Amino acid sequence: MSKDIAVSIRVNGNISVIDIKGDVTALTGQPIEDAYKEVSNTGAKKILLYFDKKAYINSGGIAILIGLVSESRKKEQVIRLTGLSDHFQKIFGMVGLTKYTQIFQSEEAALEKF
Amino acid sequence: MEAENKLELHIPNAFGYEKVAMNFAATAAKDMGLSNARIEDLKTAVSEACLNAIEHGNKMDARMKVGIVLNVEEMKLQVTVQDEGRKIGPVKTPKIEDKIEGRSNNRGWGIFLIKNLVDEVKFESAPGGGNLVRMIIHLDK
Repeated sequence: MSKDIAVSIRVNGNISVIDIKGDVTALTGQPIEDAYKEVSNTGAKKILLYFDKKAYINSGGIAILIGLVSESRKKEQVIRLTGLSDHFQKIFGMVGLTKYTQIFQSEEAALEKF
Repeated sequence: MEAENKLELHIPNAFGYEKVAMNFAATAAKDMGLSNARIEDLKTAVSEACLNAIEHGNKMDARMKVGIVLNVEEMKLQVTVQDEGRKIGPVKTPKIEDKIEGRSNNRGWGIFLIKNLVDEVKFESAPGGGNLVRMIIHLDK
C-alpha cells in the first residue's frame, strides 16, 4: 500500500513551517520526525505543522505528533497546527493534544498569533 | 428494500489495508444517509479496529487476514472486525499527560478512539478463535 507523504520545510520570518502533504501514520511518520529534527537543529523556537485537509491520520500518526509535542516542551519550542479537517481537529481534542498545542483554521491565523 | 444487508470483506494483514476497510464501511454509511461527520467517525473507528487486528491480534503475520462484516439495517450499521490471532488482553485508558511527560508510550489510542466515536462497541472472542470488535452506529444519532 502507498506510503506517500511529502514533507517540506519553509521559513516565514522566525517561524519554521513544516508542510505535510499526505497521510500521517506510523508508516509515514519518519519524514515528519526528520523535518522536526532539522528545524530544531537550526534553533527554531516557533514551529507550525501544516497538514493536508484530506489526509488520513491514524493512531500511529497521533503517537508521532505526541512525540513531537513532548520533545518541543523540553526544547522550549512552541508547536502549532493548521490545515486539519474538522474531524481531525475533533480527534486531536479528544485525545487531549489541544491541551499542549493550538490548532488554527489557517496559516495566516496561526502566524498572526505566534 | 431489504430490511438487512450483510457485506463482507477480507483484507491482507498489513498496515495500509485498513484504508480499504475504512472506505468500504464509509460507502455503506453514506448510502444509509449518515452525516459526513458520522461517516468520518466511523472511518476512524473501523481503521483503528483493523490496525489493532493487524498488529495486536494477528501479530503482523502476513499469512493471516482481517475480516470485516457490515450488517446494514434500516436505522443502524454494525461493523464487525475480526482477526485470527490470540486474545488481546485488556488495555489501559491512555492519558495524554502521561505520554507528553514521558511516563508512558505515545501509542495506545486505538480502543479509546473506537469507544468515543461509535454509539456502541463490544470486544469479544470470535467463535473459531481470534478477536472480534463489534461497532454500531445509529442513523438517528
